[in-house]
Amino acid sequence: MAKKNYTRWLFVLPAMVIVIALFIYPICSSVLYSFTNKNLIKATYKFIGFKNYVEVFKDSGFWLSFFHSLKWTVLSLAGQIVVGFTAAMALKRIEVGKGVYKTLLIIPWAFPSIVIAFSWKWILNGVYGFLPNILLKLGICETTPQFLTSGTMAFITLVMINIWFGAPMIMVNVLSALETVPRDQYEAAQIDGARPWQSFYYVTVPHIKMVVGLLVVLRTVWIFNNFDLIYLITGGGPAGSTQTIPLYAYNMGWSTKLIGRSSAVTVLLFIFLMIICGIYFAVINKWEREESK
Amino acid sequence: MKKRYTSLVLAAAVSAAVLAGCGGSKPQTAAPAQTSGQDSTQGVADAGELSGEITFWHSFTQGPRLETLQKAADKFMTENPEVKINIETFSWNDFYTKWTTGLASGNVPDMSTALPAQVAEMINVDALTPINDLIDDIGRDKFAEAAIAEGSMDGNNYSIPLYRHAHVMWIRKDLLEENGLEVPATWDELYETAKTLTKDGVYGLSFPCGTNDFQATFFLDFYVRSGGGSLLTEDLKADLTSDLAIEGINYWVKVYNDCSPKDSINFDVLDQATLYYQGKTAFDFNSGFQISGVAANSPDLLQYVDCYPIPKISAGDETEGIMTTNTPMVVWKASKHPEICKAFMKTLYDEDTYVEFLHATPVGMLPAIKGIADTESYKDDETIQQFTHAEEVLTAAADIGTAFGYEHGPNVQAGIMQNNHVVEEMFQDIITNGTDVETAAKTAEDKLNALFETAE
Repeated sequence: MAKKNYTRWLFVLPAMVIVIALFIYPICSSVLYSFTNKNLIKATYKFIGFKNYVEVFKDSGFWLSFFHSLKWTVLSLAGQIVVGFTAAMALKRIEVGKGVYKTLLIIPWAFPSIVIAFSWKWILNGVYGFLPNILLKLGICETTPQFLTSGTMAFITLVMINIWFGAPMIMVNVLSALETVPRDQYEAAQIDGARPWQSFYYVTVPHIKMVVGLLVVLRTVWIFNNFDLIYLITGGGPAGSTQTIPLYAYNMGWSTKLIGRSSAVTVLLFIFLMIICGIYFAVINKWEREESK
Repeated sequence: MKKRYTSLVLAAAVSAAVLAGCGGSKPQTAAPAQTSGQDSTQGVADAGELSGEITFWHSFTQGPRLETLQKAADKFMTENPEVKINIETFSWNDFYTKWTTGLASGNVPDMSTALPAQVAEMINVDALTPINDLIDDIGRDKFAEAAIAEGSMDGNNYSIPLYRHAHVMWIRKDLLEENGLEVPATWDELYETAKTLTKDGVYGLSFPCGTNDFQATFFLDFYVRSGGGSLLTEDLKADLTSDLAIEGINYWVKVYNDCSPKDSINFDVLDQATLYYQGKTAFDFNSGFQISGVAANSPDLLQYVDCYPIPKISAGDETEGIMTTNTPMVVWKASKHPEICKAFMKTLYDEDTYVEFLHATPVGMLPAIKGIADTESYKDDETIQQFTHAEEVLTAAADIGTAFGYEHGPNVQAGIMQNNHVVEEMFQDIITNGTDVETAAKTAEDKLNALFETAE
């Protein structure tokens, strides 16, 4: 009978400890607290069943935030893919100085969120901001544009900033995928008389769709969960017009101190994202199966 | 076999290193743990006997105040070689999040500064140690009775005021003179004057209602309290639907529409103050800290800066006490060394140290100890000499005011109203969505009362 080897367990122990401490524990504690009346600064709490979930579903603020989250994710993701993809296609055609352009274009993604948020807040400030004042001086606007003070404009402005911030990441990954497309396939398509869009659709897309698919999964989760950019620029305002689910959960837990109810929101968010990821992965698996046939 | 043994040792070492990295152990100290400051037999111990390490959180983010406190801590550590004081600084806004989350995770300091309204919340969750002995040791009669009462419950004193200030109306003398205008004494006069001065890149009066601060709550409170009202009923329910409160909400919406930059809908205290510092607003409501702000940002404007009492609803109205802040220090119950905290706190009130601290922001920080303002050393400051009128106005306001929401005595509800930004959300709803004032006020009032219930 072979002797059991425990050494391998000792080697994976550090990673296991970190995963349990930083991933499993927060999820389990959130699920647990979501069934309690836990208050942030009170030591005692009691089990209250599904009351937190019922209260959350009854709150119109939750549904409004959920709707904002969906809008925020779809618009940001679509914009990032279009801009990132276009930039990657343009960069692929550049022969000289590609590295320099690539570096310049990726700069927004390299900055910490707090720097980006405060820079944009300063640029868009209606009193001393650069952009509103130059638009006024050039006569493009008659009154100071309200980038962050009107509800609709604030949301659109945030989406634009997010596209500017996230597109470089899409660009770099798509560019890498484009570099792997064999040149002879384009040449063969050209000999067969394919038009440029046909080359793109029948040669380029099949080669990069797996990369783009995975990027869409990752970006969906990141954008839906994005907190810092919105919190730092508008704080969810004005009048809740930019409040998404993560901000709603934060305010519930840290302003009102209702950690139990805040946990219920995060559990619902977790379930929703699991469903979305499940759908995405089912599509990607289908593509893989089709490719292997 | 030898190879396997080596692997085991290596794996164990890696695991231990990771676990050690996760830990946050403090160096061991020789001092015994204390459970309560009041019960402590050691009391405010003699400096020579002290030993241990404490953490001090404070919100004095500006350079000179930070430096003065660090200097006091360094001096204390030199006199007590076995003591180490770690100072950590957070803005007032971050501080609230820091202590509430810290309390949940067991990561609170030994001593800290606080806002008066937060002290009641801290006492409510049994997070503080009584410091009656420290106050007695310094001299109870040296402090204003009201300032001590703000941090007291059931005969125990949980906070000690370090300095005080009051909110008053700040003006720009040059703008008023250029336009032949008088200093407004009533809210209506203020509106008309601010509206006249809103021109040439200057705004008469900015109305800040960003939901990341509590400025709009304060501004509404100024209006309501100037008319003898309150945002809290006597049984400590939110009262945003009284005639006075509705009048106040309408007033500030009118100011926003006619005299304020539109961006002020997202302003916090710093955004708001910065406009005044840079000469872009003619009026503002704030404490004596405006002086150091203007001095740092626009020294040329300093000669035109002065302050006056908060306007009244009618000129003949009685002068009401409005908002005084007795910025307190507290000792946390979780502290293992309350005796060090109290001994260090006591040194901050030594005349030389105390005056040096107050001079870090002259006129901004008024003495919390009686008699200091009359000393030659306190008066020996250029800014204090230049702004004698401002200091008189601030002192008079501080003498009759209370902490925000404490007009009926210390309570938890004031802190909840201040820190949950419900009033700011209400103003944003009215301004952005055009919601009817009475409807928005009722919604906000109900929301606040629901929050008050969760705290009980």
